[in-house]
Amino acid sequence: MRRAWSNAKGRLKRSWNGLREWCGDAAYENYRKCAMRRGQESVLSPRQFYVEQLNKKYSQPNRCC
Amino acid sequence: MKRILPIVIWVALAVVAAAALATIALHRGEPISASWFVLAAVCSYLVAYRLYSAFIAAKLLALDNTRATPSERRDDGRDFVPTNKWVLFGHHFAAIAGPGPLVGPTLAAQFGYLPGTLWLIAGAAFAGCVQDFVILFCSIRRDGKTLGEMARVEVSRRGGFIAQLAVLSIMIILLGVVALVIVNALKSSPWATFTLAATIPIALLLGAYLRYLRPGRVLEASLMGVALVLFAVVAGQWVADSASWSRVFTLSGLELTFAIIVYGFAASALPVWLLLAPRDYLSAFIKAGAIFSLAAGILFVRPHVLMPPLTRFVDGNGPVFAGKIFPFCFITIACGAISGFHSLISSGTTPKMIQRESHARFIGYGAMLLESFVGVMAMVAACAMTPGVYFAINSPAQIVGAAPEAAAQTISSWGYPLSAATMASLAHSVGEQTLWNRAGGAPSLAVGMAQIFSTTIGGERLLSIWYHFAIMFEALFILTVLDAGTRVGRFMIQELLGRVWKPIGRLNWYPAILLSSAMIVGAWGYFLYQGVVDPLGGINSLWPLFGISNQLLAAVALVVATTILLKMGRIKWIWVTLLPMAWLVVVTMTASYQKIFSANPRIGFLSFADALAAQIAAGQIPAAKIAETQRVIFNQRLDAAVTAVLAVMILVLLGEAIVQWHAILSRGKEPLLHETPYVATQWAEGD
Repeated sequence: MRRAWSNAKGRLKRSWNGLREWCGDAAYENYRKCAMRRGQESVLSPRQFYVEQLNKKYSQPNRCC
Repeated sequence: MKRILPIVIWVALAVVAAAALATIALHRGEPISASWFVLAAVCSYLVAYRLYSAFIAAKLLALDNTRATPSERRDDGRDFVPTNKWVLFGHHFAAIAGPGPLVGPTLAAQFGYLPGTLWLIAGAAFAGCVQDFVILFCSIRRDGKTLGEMARVEVSRRGGFIAQLAVLSIMIILLGVVALVIVNALKSSPWATFTLAATIPIALLLGAYLRYLRPGRVLEASLMGVALVLFAVVAGQWVADSASWSRVFTLSGLELTFAIIVYGFAASALPVWLLLAPRDYLSAFIKAGAIFSLAAGILFVRPHVLMPPLTRFVDGNGPVFAGKIFPFCFITIACGAISGFHSLISSGTTPKMIQRESHARFIGYGAMLLESFVGVMAMVAACAMTPGVYFAINSPAQIVGAAPEAAAQTISSWGYPLSAATMASLAHSVGEQTLWNRAGGAPSLAVGMAQIFSTTIGGERLLSIWYHFAIMFEALFILTVLDAGTRVGRFMIQELLGRVWKPIGRLNWYPAILLSSAMIVGAWGYFLYQGVVDPLGGINSLWPLFGISNQLLAAVALVVATTILLKMGRIKWIWVTLLPMAWLVVVTMTASYQKIFSANPRIGFLSFADALAAQIAAGQIPAAKIAETQRVIFNQRLDAAVTAVLAVMILVLLGEAIVQWHAILSRGKEPLLHETPYVATQWAEGD
């Protein structure tokens, strides 16, 4: 029973994380992790990162007919 | 035993798929249950994915999981981000699923359910999925290069230029056509117009929230936005019931045309975070919800398909659009089976985020199968309504007559019984003044969806809410395509003009932004205007033009794919891309020829223009209508010229590619492949 509960909790957590990644909520956290891993000194603020990502995303075809 | 069981399962699935397809194809007389469509589609997709895509992955592309993908080699947390394959599948599907697979099959239902359904399933398995998968693979091997860049490097410089031009043309035509679908859906409908108009302030609110209050918190902002949009759907009824507010939101086709043009200009010129992005978030959530609800509704309700397998309109005289099954069914279905536009997504962000080469099969091939399934559901929704009602909604007044009684008589005389009272009662139930002559596909799809939803929840009482929810859902994500497309078109124009005069190419110089926005909006706005004033219902002329341009782009993508595969030495399996490419060229060329030169004025642009000119010369057009008729004549000739240019572009590109292929096959030229060099992955197998 405890194992089934822990499995279900794990799945739920993975689904939640997947949803956050899909909709873009986790993008800044991923960027920060990557910047720390690479030892970058200047890191964009959440606001700067958000606007930069949007400008890039909507400068090429990203929604289909 | 362990080895035999999977074989038995897959053989059984193949047998079920064949049996379901045979039932759909051979069923005559009584209405058929939609369950057969779901069964045929799902089993065919599973078999195609398991066998054909595995064959392509192993033999044609030889996917290599030991090779580092661009997201691993260039991981920067911004453009190149290694992404879980399920999440990326969701991203990719959300990007490729647009209004095309909903509207195309709805329009093609005029031939009956059979031709469209077969093409949706077979076309996706053997052409659309192959294109998306192979282009995604090619782009992964080239650091995420775009289709245009690959065409330039692997085919020729001219090939790259043609691809770029094809993208711009398809964008302009596409935007004009989808805007026309919205106009036809909102015309004289205060409820629907209010709901859609309300999404603009909601999007602005969300934009400010995401920019200033909680940057990047898309999930919470979108949930708030979705709640507000759903409230707007309900509030629309109050607006429609109020005499004064109803007048404000009851707009004619031309008024809506200008409103959408102004909106498109604003969305292109304003900062992206303010209007475009938040609307896109709203649209993504509502789109995902509505598509899954439709699938669940069809599975739950299992409606009967009332449309016959083949209608009398296979002869080419259909009221929705003119032309025979070949080539017009394939042109009309468009994105549900194969879409050139997908190649832009497959060579856009997806290749930069993929973790493993083997994921390309699941994402490239799999997402397109899901898109095709959306198309099959749209076909079911359109065919589940009484054929008479379907033709009443989708036929222009010039074909069936403007008076309800006369129109009902015309449609009944075709063998699809209908009374004016039925249409009046249906319009009343969905909260519309009328459902006659609402060509464009969106209203009939909304009626079909509403009937399925209301059978599941709420019954007859909620039919009007479901109908307006469906209209809002279609219009919302069409507007998303419209504003995102206008912005990208603006960038393309700036890039092209920037070669002539550098300042125009500067993306942050406001005069350049305004000029290029006006140019792109003017271009698609013209097609929209043309569709609204066209006496035969503009969708009749413009949807085939959109289909031709979209298939043209798919042919461009398959030409590039075939060239790359030949350079890789995959001559034995080259038919995998060569056959769909040849099919597309034949379909596109035949459709282009017929659209330009057919003697039938309902098909041929030139013959329609000539017929109208002859009517003016014979004095059959009233003096007050002469200027308008001359405008229609000009538009028809313009459409003929645009179609000819599209056809010439594909012939030039094909010529360039054939020269390349000949050189490769005759060993006259050493094939030069522009792949990024092999780098071994550092990730463990399970990563």
